[in-house]
Amino acid sequence: MEPDVSMETGSMIRIAVLPVGGAIPHRQLREYAAMLGRQTRIDLSSISSFYKEHQKSPFAHQPWETGCLRFKYMLGGAPPSPWEDFQSCRKILAVVGLCHCPSSPDLDLVADQFAAACKGYSSALAKRCFAFCPTDSQLEDDGKKRENIILFPPSDRQTQEFHMLTMVQDLAATLLMEFEKWVLRAESTGTILKTPLDSQSSLGSEEVIKAKKRRLGRAQKTIGDYCLLAGSPVDANAHYSTAIELARLTGDVFWHAGALEGSVCALLLDRMDQKDPVLEEEVKYRYYTVIQLYRRSYLQDNAQRVSTVSFELEAALKLARYLCRRELAKEVVELLMGAADGAKSLIDASDRLILYVEIARLFGTLGYQRKAAFFSRQVAQLYLQQDNACAAISAMQVLTMTSNAYHVQSRRANSKPHTSPHELGPSHGDGGKLHPQSVVSLFESQWSTLQMVVLREILMSSVRAGDPLAAWSAAARLLRSFYPLITPAGQSGLASSLAKSAERLPPGTRCADPALPFIRLHSFSLHPSQTDIIKRNPLKKEWWTGSAPSGPFIYTPFSKGGTTNTNKQEMTWIVGEPVQVLVELANPCSFDLIVESIYLSVHSGNFDAFPVSVSLPPNTAKVILLSGIPTKVGPVSIPGCIVHCFGVITEHLFKDVDNLLLGAAQGLVLSDPFRCCGSGKLKNVSIPNISVVPPLPLLVSHAVGGDGATVLYEGEIRDIWISLTNAGTVPVEQAHIALSGKNQDSVVSIAHDTLLSALPLKPGGEVTLPVTLKAWQLSMVDSEIDSSKSSGSTRRISKEGSSPVLVVHYAGPWTHSDQSNNTENSVPPGRRLVVPLNVCVLQGLRFVKARLLSMEIPARITDALPKQLYGDKNPAEVVSRDDSMVKIDPYRGSWELRLLELELSNPTDVVFEVNVSVQLDNRKNEHGMPILNHENADFGYPKTRIDRDYSARVLIPLEHFKLPILDGSFFAKDSRASDAFCSKVSNMAERSAKAELNASINNLISKIKVRWHSGRNSSGELNIKDATQPALQASVMDILLPDPLTFGFRLAKNGATAQINGFPEESIISGDPPSQCVNGSAVKCKGSISAHEMTHMEVLVRNNTKEMIQMSLCVACRDVAGENCTEGNNATVLWAGVLNDIRLEVPPLEEVEHAFSLYFLVPGEYTLQAASVINDATDVLRARARTDSPDEPIFCRGSPFHVHVVGTA
Amino acid sequence: MIVCVAVVGHENNPLYLQSFTEADDALKLHHIVHSSLDVIDERVNNPKKSGSTLNETFLGLLYPTENYKVYGYLTNTKVKLIMVMTDLDVKDADVRSFFRRFHAAYVDAVSNPFHVPGKTTTSKSFGQRVGSMVKSFGPGATA
Repeated sequence: MEPDVSMETGSMIRIAVLPVGGAIPHRQLREYAAMLGRQTRIDLSSISSFYKEHQKSPFAHQPWETGCLRFKYMLGGAPPSPWEDFQSCRKILAVVGLCHCPSSPDLDLVADQFAAACKGYSSALAKRCFAFCPTDSQLEDDGKKRENIILFPPSDRQTQEFHMLTMVQDLAATLLMEFEKWVLRAESTGTILKTPLDSQSSLGSEEVIKAKKRRLGRAQKTIGDYCLLAGSPVDANAHYSTAIELARLTGDVFWHAGALEGSVCALLLDRMDQKDPVLEEEVKYRYYTVIQLYRRSYLQDNAQRVSTVSFELEAALKLARYLCRRELAKEVVELLMGAADGAKSLIDASDRLILYVEIARLFGTLGYQRKAAFFSRQVAQLYLQQDNACAAISAMQVLTMTSNAYHVQSRRANSKPHTSPHELGPSHGDGGKLHPQSVVSLFESQWSTLQMVVLREILMSSVRAGDPLAAWSAAARLLRSFYPLITPAGQSGLASSLAKSAERLPPGTRCADPALPFIRLHSFSLHPSQTDIIKRNPLKKEWWTGSAPSGPFIYTPFSKGGTTNTNKQEMTWIVGEPVQVLVELANPCSFDLIVESIYLSVHSGNFDAFPVSVSLPPNTAKVILLSGIPTKVGPVSIPGCIVHCFGVITEHLFKDVDNLLLGAAQGLVLSDPFRCCGSGKLKNVSIPNISVVPPLPLLVSHAVGGDGATVLYEGEIRDIWISLTNAGTVPVEQAHIALSGKNQDSVVSIAHDTLLSALPLKPGGEVTLPVTLKAWQLSMVDSEIDSSKSSGSTRRISKEGSSPVLVVHYAGPWTHSDQSNNTENSVPPGRRLVVPLNVCVLQGLRFVKARLLSMEIPARITDALPKQLYGDKNPAEVVSRDDSMVKIDPYRGSWELRLLELELSNPTDVVFEVNVSVQLDNRKNEHGMPILNHENADFGYPKTRIDRDYSARVLIPLEHFKLPILDGSFFAKDSRASDAFCSKVSNMAERSAKAELNASINNLISKIKVRWHSGRNSSGELNIKDATQPALQASVMDILLPDPLTFGFRLAKNGATAQINGFPEESIISGDPPSQCVNGSAVKCKGSISAHEMTHMEVLVRNNTKEMIQMSLCVACRDVAGENCTEGNNATVLWAGVLNDIRLEVPPLEEVEHAFSLYFLVPGEYTLQAASVINDATDVLRARARTDSPDEPIFCRGSPFHVHVVGTA
Repeated sequence: MIVCVAVVGHENNPLYLQSFTEADDALKLHHIVHSSLDVIDERVNNPKKSGSTLNETFLGLLYPTENYKVYGYLTNTKVKLIMVMTDLDVKDADVRSFFRRFHAAYVDAVSNPFHVPGKTTTSKSFGQRVGSMVKSFGPGATA
């Protein structure tokens, strides 16, 4: 059997083309052969000039105008066929030698060689040797005129081709004349034609007769063949008709079929251009007959030796090729399947090979790709049976062709459209969409049984063929696509064959087909310096506003920013600043995978990727960080990764894996490599449009003294020094600091000026800013129990993320000096730096509770009122005293002390010192006099030390907060509320009154500062507000408001009420202990009272309100036992004057005196106390007394005065 | 005797392929089924149907190969049912009725709410049903 047969084969003149002489370089040989190969159709009209009619041509009807000769060049020649006599077209009718003169200097030698080579082709009628590129000497030498050697003088291509055409035409003319000669001879003398069918050894008489009969028919058939070759179909047809008749008569079935076949060829040549259905029917009819005849000629007895099956199959293939059209597919399929079935009866393996090749080709032409693939695979198997390298190469190539039909093709085959970066960009833009083509490939990839077989065979054949790259590629495809179907041992085997193939490849070989691992894009790891690129608004002074993402969450530095930010379609990278991309690798196989290097594949050429090497244990997935540096301004596209694994460099596209995963999700692909490695599902990460911008300034911050969290106790105040360094290559020209995040109010101050004065900050420049922090209070919400400590002492520390954050917006110059072509992007963007103030707040001193304590120390009665503080001439003396906080209320005359007791505990492990101070503003009363004339009314207290795990109480006197006057203003709201009957209004009023009350409490509390120190440099302030508020709530009125009436007692001298000026030093005697008076001099005891002596006294009643008060005053004197001494039978004190029911009217803010005298019978301690019932009390008074009913008498009691009566009883 | 039945999805993806031979020729049957898709594709793309055969789902004999005959059936959802058999003379009506039953079985199988369309059919009861159908085909045809 012969390959590539068709119905027209019968008209083709076979010419062997042989290289002669010295070795011809490949390129030249190819070129010469191609030049020759183009001359396949030689028009008869063109050869007429070379043709000389010696005798009358036997080809009477030769179409000199339209006909042609057909040449078929057999490169390298062909062995003679035993069927040459049967079909003349099988003969080699001419030999053409190709000689490259520079490599074969001796032309004589060439001529000899050529002659020797021609000896093998006895059937050749013409011989030519074409010698190319002859040297000058050879050209001169040519004068000898060697037979058959034709020198092609060196010239340009066109000329050479023309020369070649001429030579071929000459050859054609020679052949034509030879054919004529042959035919004439055959017609006159006859020939003996034999085929292997005719038994050669034993010619019985019967057979001799038979052969004689048949000879004429066979001769006619052969003449017909030569007519066909000579391009004269009409003559051929005539001879064939005769031959058919004769063959039928003599029962020469085989030659009958051959003649019929020839007649079809003649018919087709004759009607070359027409292809009408009638002709087709005719051809079909004749060919089916041909096939029938060939089948009939099959002789059982010599089937062992020779078979006509190949002719039958060849005829079937010829017909199939003739009919090979979609419309006739069914018929063609039947013919081809029939031919395929016939393969079994073919003896020769190479015949079978040719048959399958032809069947596969015809199926391919028909569009039956799968069938073509099936037969190609059969071809490959036949090749593989041959067990030599060439056959293996052929097998590999044939299988590679089938890989398309089975959808296991190498990517190299269809990589052309993928190479351009423009193609890659948009295809990535549309994220998870599958391309219809790839969908089909996913579907078809389910024919895994077939696909694996094909890939295995490709692998096997390429190993045998010695093509390591093809082997690597096949093994990679097999492993990557079908790992779930391959046993662990098989996977390891594939891995080792990958490694073995790679050993035979030069280092740095690239392969289009990726092997392992599977790589998908995980996320873009965004350094904050990348996220915080902010478009500058050149119109606004605060250029960053409006461009930052709006909404309640400006920036949360601790959120998992990486993944969420990739949703953005736009991303900006900066020239020279490294960027990072997270990719996930999966090794679903059962061997250790060592990725020698992996780096991002960037086609845009403006990115330097840094390779890393990874080792993946069996069945694992790993997320790794790939980094690189953008080098040039422009867009960047990242279609995948370049992987150096198993010794070969491959590009792994993210898109492929995305498609694969999508296919796995739809159940189209065997398995998801990431899922089977235990990696979770990842949402489809789309690659944003990345653009690279020119360099920007880059501020880097660090806290001076370490970037660790500053540990502060609650309320501690400390400066943190933040240092900002410009790590970029562009100066910072604008900068602005803002606060963000939680606990913003804990930042007391930021040195804005320091930053502004440092601008412009040159590259490498540094500026250090102090930031004053006051640690915030821990609440239950934003603190967490530090359970690492023992359960006994749980400590609360602040949660992470509750620290405030400094946001620095900064930008370089408005225009880049080195960028002249900044037409569209004239303003380079600014940046934002987020500096978290890492503060860890520890729980500090803790309040246990706050209480309000009140106590009274009775004043000692003297001849003077206790000196009013504002009247004191030497206030500094008062202040300087240790107990300066403890003052006698000027209007009350006694020490009624209200103390705020704060109980503090120290749960920490350091010692705290607490220092209380009260800050008083210098309020003026209506008289323009300061009530408390402390210049800087800060009272120093001795420090209270609280050891660790101890608690302590701190007392804060609340004496200095009294208002001077009780008037309606305080109760304004109250009084109005009582006027209004509308409950709603009153409700409102109550609420506002409450608010006012709270405000006054807050005001009061804010004046009290509790500062603490701990260690050398920890200091802070305790927030007592919340703790003290409830304590003060109930009694704030008592603290703030004076009583409406204050009472005082003093000694009167002979009823005169003159103020005593002579005893300034003793004006405050109540501070002295009583014993001092006893033991002291007479002068000192001047103010003391003796028993058995009439003592004149005065009671002073001061009205603290702005209204006249009418009242009835009572004065009571009690002894130590609390018995009333002035009444009853055993009265120990006698009196003169009125003590009870004294009716008095006190004008507003005035004092009224009432004199009386007491006579003490018994020395000792007494207490004088004044009280009064106010008549017709006003609302203000009622409110002060907290009474609601208008009838209730308002009772006002003064504080007790102490009387020390000396003398003997 | 039926040696193989197969269901192929509308994207030419195999959904079900079962051979009923003792011999180890699964690969060969895969190939036969796979290459029969060419013929089906061809018939679907170049329908020469008219009139009465317009709604015909039975594609008839797709092609004979070696000892086998391959029959095809195309559902209206473009799912292909393929049968490979060794019987040389079989009435089309028998094959047609076999395919009807096969189709019904397949429809029942994919009506399972847990079946994912486009995935290979793994239903055991479908397999059993097809198996019994195939077994009953031989004697039924001869009788």
